[in-house]
Amino acid sequence: MDPASKKILLVEDEDFIRELYVRQLTKAGFQVKSAVDGTSGLETLKAETFDLLLLDIMLPGMNGLQLLREFKTNNPTSPMITILLTNLGQEAVIKEGFELGAQAYLIKASYTPDQVVSEVKNALFGGQPVPPPNPTQ
Amino acid sequence: MSTALLILVTIASVISVMAAIIWILKLRRQLSENTRNAAQLAPTLRQLETERDIAIAARDKTNEILASVIDGIVALDFNKNVILLNKAAQELTGYSETEIQGRPIDRMIRLFSEQEEILPKTYCQGSFNKPVKVVGKEGKQTKVNLMTTQAEGSVQTNLGCILILHDLSKEEELEQMKLDFVSMASHELKTPLTSIIGYLSVFLDEAGNKLPKENLDLLDKAFVSAKQLQTLIQNLLNVNKIERERLDVEVEPINLNDNFGKAIEDLQNQAKLKNISLNFSRDDTLPKVLADPVRIGEVINNLVANAINYTSAGGKITVYMKASPNEVTTTVEDTGMGISQEAIPHLFSKFFRVSNSMQKGNKGTGLGLYISKSIIQKLNGKIWVESEVGKGSKFHFSLPVAIQDTSSLDRNKFVSEAIQTGALNY
Repeated sequence: MDPASKKILLVEDEDFIRELYVRQLTKAGFQVKSAVDGTSGLETLKAETFDLLLLDIMLPGMNGLQLLREFKTNNPTSPMITILLTNLGQEAVIKEGFELGAQAYLIKASYTPDQVVSEVKNALFGGQPVPPPNPTQ
Repeated sequence: MSTALLILVTIASVISVMAAIIWILKLRRQLSENTRNAAQLAPTLRQLETERDIAIAARDKTNEILASVIDGIVALDFNKNVILLNKAAQELTGYSETEIQGRPIDRMIRLFSEQEEILPKTYCQGSFNKPVKVVGKEGKQTKVNLMTTQAEGSVQTNLGCILILHDLSKEEELEQMKLDFVSMASHELKTPLTSIIGYLSVFLDEAGNKLPKENLDLLDKAFVSAKQLQTLIQNLLNVNKIERERLDVEVEPINLNDNFGKAIEDLQNQAKLKNISLNFSRDDTLPKVLADPVRIGEVINNLVANAINYTSAGGKITVYMKASPNEVTTTVEDTGMGISQEAIPHLFSKFFRVSNSMQKGNKGTGLGLYISKSIIQKLNGKIWVESEVGKGSKFHFSLPVAIQDTSSLDRNKFVSEAIQTGALNY
């Protein structure tokens, strides 16, 4: 239940949103890294392992779904939890994200940063996790 | 004998010559009579020629007028054969006049309303006025508004029915551009607004209790206004989706207590700033309903925001639910100004606003109820209102009860209950 033991990667191109989420997640005690686009996000995922990925869908260049597809192809058994950051009305995209292994989504405009943090906490510690195929922790 | 023969021949010759002379004289007389007749006919001929020229000019003028009409015009005879196709109709259908003249219209031009083909016997009967799809030469398709009139034709004119085809493709293109613009602008507006709301909420959380009440009040008002702007943008996007027929709902069994609890909590500040008490009666015995958690949150947000707008300071708003075997009815009750009986039938129409509203700065775009109705209908529910001027309003909506099946939720139970209630959505 210790946030300090959990590593989160946030991929979000909007500077202010990214800064704010990083600030709040860091304040909550998590280890947080961030990326401004899909390509650098994927590079970061290749270099390190994370417990949770907060992934914006609309990104310049490689979008969130492409990133997720690429990551899942290379790491099919990764236990990393993925939460999609979306805008309302992207139902089709969300469905596709779920097929690619995302566990949840949240609508950026409807959630304050603290609600985002509490959803991240819930996703990581909130209940009895379904055991991943190859548990590493 | 020979003399007699000679005399006979001579007489015969004389008779012949005489006959010839008579014939010539007769011919001359005839000729002069003809000349005289011809001279008499000339004015008639000239008149006929003039009349012919006038008729040609009139026909050209009519053709010119028909050609310059921007709507397509097709004239049919009693047997529904094409007798005339103006220039615009030629462009719409791809046929030249010679290709189609005299042919039965339903073999050349086919018309579809929705997916169903409509035949001349339908559209040539009485007056017809509907958008249709025209399929012309080589499958050329155009969306038009078809208007028909029955000509009062006689046997001679053999004119049965006239079709007027108004091209809708350009109008649709403009409409599409408008919708695209609204959609793009709304999305662009949302991004900085999300930042504003995010930063304000963090600031209020961290520093709110350290601020003097007066300063906190300023921030609260900025925050509430930003949230109102967010609802407004969301409504614009939703109307845009409804118009494009792209408003999708993802139905799942949900607990309205949790869903509404969060939505109403978000509106508490707004109510508090207006000194209105906003109460939510939870009912833990309530069955789950089949609904889209995000969309139903928008419905309650719109109804409660409306109630706040139309209720004066000191007023009261209560939200409660009531279950019957098949459905759950939610009510948003206020002690506001109420709605006149004349306004009620129009209340759920797009852009409708109660005009005699006494509310200063009468807020709203007239979209909230229209959207709420669209969403509730998509969710197979009903929405209605009871109201009395001066006493307040009760907005009700019903949703179908879900048949117990939580297997899909059990699968994801490692995520918090908030996820099941729409904070995060599966």
